[in-house]
Parts: sequence; structure tokens; C-alpha cells
Amino acid sequence: MAKPLLEIQDLNVAFNTERGQVMPVRDVSLTVYPGQTVAVVGESGSGKSVTALSVLRLIPQPPGKILSGRIVWQGRDLLTLSEKEMRSVRGGEIAMIFQEPMTSLNPVYTIGDQIAEAVMLHQRVTSRQAFEIAEQSLRDVGIADAGRRLHEYPHQMSGGMRQRVMIAMALSCKPELLIADEPTTALDVTIQAQILELLRKLQRENGMSILLITHDLGVVAEQADVVNVMYASRIVESATVEELFDKPQHPYTEGLFRSIPKLGAYAERLDTIPGTVPNPARFPTGCKFHPRCPRTRAAAEEPGRDARDVIEVTSGDETFRVLRKCATDEPALREVRPRHWGACHLVENFDRSPITSPQLDHHRSVAAVAVDGGAQAPLATATTAGVTTQDLAGGVREGAR
Amino acid sequence: MSSQLSASAVALPPSTSVAVGGPTTDSPRSPDAPRSFWRRALGDAFARYGARIGAAWVILLAFCGVFAPFIANTHPLLLKMDGQWSMPLFRHLTPGDVVLLFATAMAALAYFGMRGFRPSQRLYIVVGAVLLMIPLARWFVTPPITVNYSQYREAEKAGRVQYILRTPVRYSPTDYLRDLPDRRLSPPTRHHWMGTERDSADVLSRMIHAARIALTIGFISTGIAVAIGVVVGGLMGFYAGTVDIIGMRLIEIFESIPTLVLLLTIVAVFERNIYLMMAIIGLTSWTSNARFVRAEFLRLRKQDFVQAAIAAGLPRRSVIFRHMLPNGVAPVLVSASFGVAAAILIESVLSFLGLGLVQEPSWGGMLNQARNEGGAFSWWMAIFPGTAIFLTVFAYNLIGESLRDALDPKLRKLD
Repeated sequence: MAKPLLEIQDLNVAFNTERGQVMPVRDVSLTVYPGQTVAVVGESGSGKSVTALSVLRLIPQPPGKILSGRIVWQGRDLLTLSEKEMRSVRGGEIAMIFQEPMTSLNPVYTIGDQIAEAVMLHQRVTSRQAFEIAEQSLRDVGIADAGRRLHEYPHQMSGGMRQRVMIAMALSCKPELLIADEPTTALDVTIQAQILELLRKLQRENGMSILLITHDLGVVAEQADVVNVMYASRIVESATVEELFDKPQHPYTEGLFRSIPKLGAYAERLDTIPGTVPNPARFPTGCKFHPRCPRTRAAAEEPGRDARDVIEVTSGDETFRVLRKCATDEPALREVRPRHWGACHLVENFDRSPITSPQLDHHRSVAAVAVDGGAQAPLATATTAGVTTQDLAGGVREGAR
Repeated sequence: MSSQLSASAVALPPSTSVAVGGPTTDSPRSPDAPRSFWRRALGDAFARYGARIGAAWVILLAFCGVFAPFIANTHPLLLKMDGQWSMPLFRHLTPGDVVLLFATAMAALAYFGMRGFRPSQRLYIVVGAVLLMIPLARWFVTPPITVNYSQYREAEKAGRVQYILRTPVRYSPTDYLRDLPDRRLSPPTRHHWMGTERDSADVLSRMIHAARIALTIGFISTGIAVAIGVVVGGLMGFYAGTVDIIGMRLIEIFESIPTLVLLLTIVAVFERNIYLMMAIIGLTSWTSNARFVRAEFLRLRKQDFVQAAIAAGLPRRSVIFRHMLPNGVAPVLVSASFGVAAAILIESVLSFLGLGLVQEPSWGGMLNQARNEGGAFSWWMAIFPGTAIFLTVFAYNLIGESLRDALDPKLRKLD
């Protein structure tokens, strides 16, 4: 087993708000191995972006604060580094690209200036060489006429182009890990496919790892080796991409899969997970998913269920019955199947599964990852938000190693 | 120390006005060449008539300020007296005049020549050359200590002058016409186009020379205010939290100091020193700048490109000054142009109250002389300096307003 590149261990992040302290990230552990793409999936507000920002210590402080945990990067705990040491890690060893390409470039400088500034910071080069490197990296991300584009300002470029520039900037210093925080969310679907394709190509060429933050299971299916599902500040499920898509364990993950539109299937309305992600200031007790969880409701209604195990809860304007342990005990992340971690009381043998932290040195195979919840058909038939089967097919083939 | 300061201080206005007015009004650039945010914003601002009129007036003032000795001077440019040629005007230039002229020449050279250098390099060259020039000028430029203004007029009357080339206005601001006692406090005449003062000095000449004070006090005090405001506001906005709270209290303390009363006190206690006045005005008027920068930085620190800059490992200094400041300084620019106007007004008020400078000509001080002993009213002493003050304040307000409109994101049409 190779040594992990990045290990996040029991990370807890708090934000002080006017209504008291909230914790958008609780006890999050995840591991990234060299060359791996690790996805963190979740809805808005699940804490996935805060996790990503914590790695580079980019949480605005105040109001944010990393309460506890370790972020081990190649044997060093990033949380103990000085600001100066941290600066050499940022950009040089770990780079980051952001969700909104329209606003992540400084409007005042040409893109050449911006890339060259980052290059000169981390490499011992003259300004002329830095501009050459910048031009080459623009060419690498597929920008035509790189020499001229170098002297243009961000407002002269389209969103997809700007995201390419962001990637060029991030990769110009040859980082070992790229944190991509929803890199394609703000782009239209054809551009999304191109950007994902580009990331795969660059990953193959440079052998870097990617920590991919997304809410798009289609992107996960195409891109990820290992998937962590986050819900309300915690990781609720963690597995290899094949395993997760084949046998999702957590009811939240199942719900996510159900709400994906399927090509070829007819539906009046798409399935949704009822309710909304709870506000971090008012997380429910016990398992944070229990107010929305169909599994615990079904279990509570089972005939022969001991009445002492059932409790009545009110969420919003709805009153219903759930299992007592779901409403009172927060389940820890346990290895419920070999190499598959989940945090749900109602998974088979949950109480007897060991509490370990997920370590998956896994690279996807040529394999088929179908988004449709277990169907083994290679080259999936469905994905979210209209990434066409064609793209996905191309994607999986590209992803093959 | 004080006169060294004076040289560098008066050197500022022309180069600044060139930098602001220059690249936007008359740069022959191809339309498809990429224009930076600032170029576009300034271009937009100076596309408006208001700003152009304002800028024209300020440039006229700057011109008057720089070339005042060549516009209004008793010393002739060229003189042939008793068969001997001389250039008395040049011999009587002060070190301040020389540095100012040199700075203007350097700024013009940097703007029209020096094609091989980047703009920032040009700026360093100009500033470096001017700083170098200050001690040189003080060392080598030694005008006579005693000045006899009436000698030329007396020589002319005596018929000793064969040739004389004068400046457009024939009187120096401190030429009290000792030889012509009947000219005292006269309304505009053929000789004195804007009349004379109580002590016989020519009003037009004093008006032209006073442009220096007006521009200098505006720029220096606003410069001090902007510098302090940007640093304090920037730190407050960037670090937020405790730093912000402490900074806010500091701002409140400074805002509670009445500028005029403090100035009156200082002027009463210390000597009448224009640089002290500039410093006081600057030190008490930075608070609004700090508030603006703070608000902008609080907004910017959460913006993606700032996060991206930090994520790229840029040092804090670079993040704050290179990436955040250019994007957050716009409101300060607007308030600075209003601040210049306010500073000119404050100086005028002080001079009007008789607490201004004694020797140096100043518009407010001249205004003060409109009201004479016995209630006599000298209209020319009110109209001309009053109009100059009004136009200057108005010009800065026009520029400020155009800048504000051009930089207002709601009105801005920058894709």
C-alpha cells in the first residue's frame, strides 16, 4: 500500500455567528493517495467546501476556526505550520480551483500577469521565463492562441475559458494535489464535459491527485476513484466509486441516486429527498438525516417493533415516528462492508462493524459505473444535468488506465 | 528640513495631474487593444463633460502653479541695461521653482518618451530623479537674498534700459511697488488687470502664484488622508474581528476631533506653517477613506479571486496591496477628489480668518482683504479669488462625481 498523500483526521471546524457557534465540519476523515481522484459529494451546506478550504487553511478567520483534527500532508500536519511555511504549500504543492470562474480571476490584471506571478512565487525563474511557462500552461489547457491570450484581461474571456485559465494557473507550478471545488458547476454542460476531460488528461500526464468537491453524481461517476458522501457536516458514506454506485448503504446516498433523472425512463416528477438540509445552527439530535430518512420511518412502522424503540418526532409541520436510536444516537462511520464505510444504524450488522477511518488506495478500472443504482450495464445510461451518455462513455474510456 | 519638504511637496501636483488626466484623454490606442479595469473606468469617467471641464481647470491651475515665475514676475526674462545683457528672472528662481520645473519636465518626458520602460519603471525613474534633484537644487540654486524689485522700473525711467523682455504679468506676488505709492488698493486698471492689494501687490500675480498653495494643500493633505485611510481601513477589512473593532474605535475618536478648531489651536500655538496645516488636515480627514476601504475589503476578502490569490500561496502583502487594493480603492478615489476640494476650502477659511500664511499668496487670504478698515469693500478682492476658489472646488467635485458614476457597479457597463 502506498503512503497516503493527504490525510484529514477527525477535522472539526466551527464558525462563530451571531446566533452562536455552528459546526459545518464535524469529525471528517478522508485520505487521498497519489494519483487518486477522491470525490466529496453533498448538497449545499453539507460542509464539503469548508472541508476543502480547511486543507489550505483558507477558512476566513474570524469567523471560522479549526477546532481540532489533523491535516497530514506528506507527513507534515498542515495545521501546525507557520503562515510562511503554509504559503509554500499553497499553490506549490497543493493548488486549488474554484467554483465560479467568472469571479476567481482578478479583473485588474492580465491573465499572463496572474499566472506568471504565481509561477515566480514558487519557481526560481525570471519574469520572461515565467511568462513562457504561463504561455505553455495555457497551451496545455487547450487555449488557442496562448501568446495573445496571455495579454488579455479576464473580462475578455468566456466562463469556460476562464476556468481553463484557472486550471492553467493552478497547474503551472506542478502541484501534487489539486483541490477542485465544484469546478464545473457554473459552466454549461458541453463546457463541463470539456473541463472534466481536461482535468483527466492533465491528471494522467502529471500524475497528480485530485480532491474533487461536487454535488454532481454524474461528475463523480465519470471522474472519481473514491467517493465520500457528506451530509450535514459529517461523512455518512465512503467507498470506492464502483462499490458506492453498486451498493449504496446510507439512505441519503440512496436518495441521491433516486433523484437522478434516468435517460430512457419515464417519470412525471423526479424523486426527491423530502425536506431540506438542516441549518448548521439547528442540527437535529441523533442521526442528522433522521427527519428526512425513509428507512427509519419504515422501520418504525414495521409490525412487531417494540414501542420503546420508537419515538415520535416533529419536523417542520409534520409529525411521524422514527426509531429511537436514530433520533438520539449519532451513528459513527463504521466499516459496514469490506472497504465500504457507512454511518447508519439501520445498515445490516452496523453495531458489530468496526469503527475505522476510511483508507482506500483504489484506482478505478475500465469499469462501468452506472448511476442507476446497481445496474451493471457498462457505460452508464444516466447521469445528472444532461451530461450526455456520449460524454460519459467517452469519459469512462478516458478514465481507464 | 522644511524647505526640502517644500520642494518635494510642490513637485507633486503637475506629475499627479499628468498621471490622472494623461492616459485617458489623449492616448492614441487602437480600440481592440485590451484595456485594464482602471483604464476603462478612468476612460469612462473622463468621457464625461463634467470631468473634462474639471480636469481642464485643474490642468490650467497646475500649469499656472508650475510656470508661475514665467507668467507673473517683476524680473524681466531678458534685459539689456547699460549695454549689458542679463537674465534676471533665471537668477531669481528659487530651488523650489527649479525642482518643480524639473519634475514637470521629467513627467512630460516619462509620458511622451521613455517608450522602452514599463509604466511602473517610468514612475520610479521620475520619482528618483526628482528626489535626487531636491538636494542638488538646494545646493546649486542660490537666488540673491535681498531682492530689489523697483530697480528695473527706475532704470527704465532713467533711460538706462536698451532692451527688456517681460513676462505677461509684470509684477511679482511680493512686489509691493515701493516706488509707486499711488497704486495702493486700486481697482483693476491698465497696469493691474485685477487690481492691487492693500500693500500694493498685484492681485493677478498673487492669484497665479497662489495656485501652488491651492493645489499643494489639496494634494498633500488628501494624499496623507488616503495613505492613512487605505492602510488602516485595509488592515481592518482584511483581518476583521478584533482588529476591525479596535480600528473602528480609532476612527470614531478621530472623527470626534473638529478639524477647524484643532487647526486654529495649532496655528495659534505654533508658527504658521503650511505643511503643519496639510498634516493636520490629512490626519483628521482619513477616517472616511478608512471606512470605505474597510467596507470594500470586507467584501473582497470573501471573493473568489482573493481566495484564489491566497490559495496560490501569494504573501499577504501581495494579496492586500496587489490584488485587493486595486479592486477596492475606487470609492477612495472618489472621496479623495472631494477631499481635495474640502482641503482647499479649509485653507481658504483659515486664510480668510487671518490665520493663514503671511508671506505666501493664498486665495483665502486675499479674500480677507476685500473687507477693509472702515467697512470699505474692495469688490475686486472678493470676486477674483472667490471665483478661483469656487471654480477649483467645483472642478474637483465634477471630477469626483464623474469618477463615482464611472465606478458605480450599478451604472457601470463593463460587460
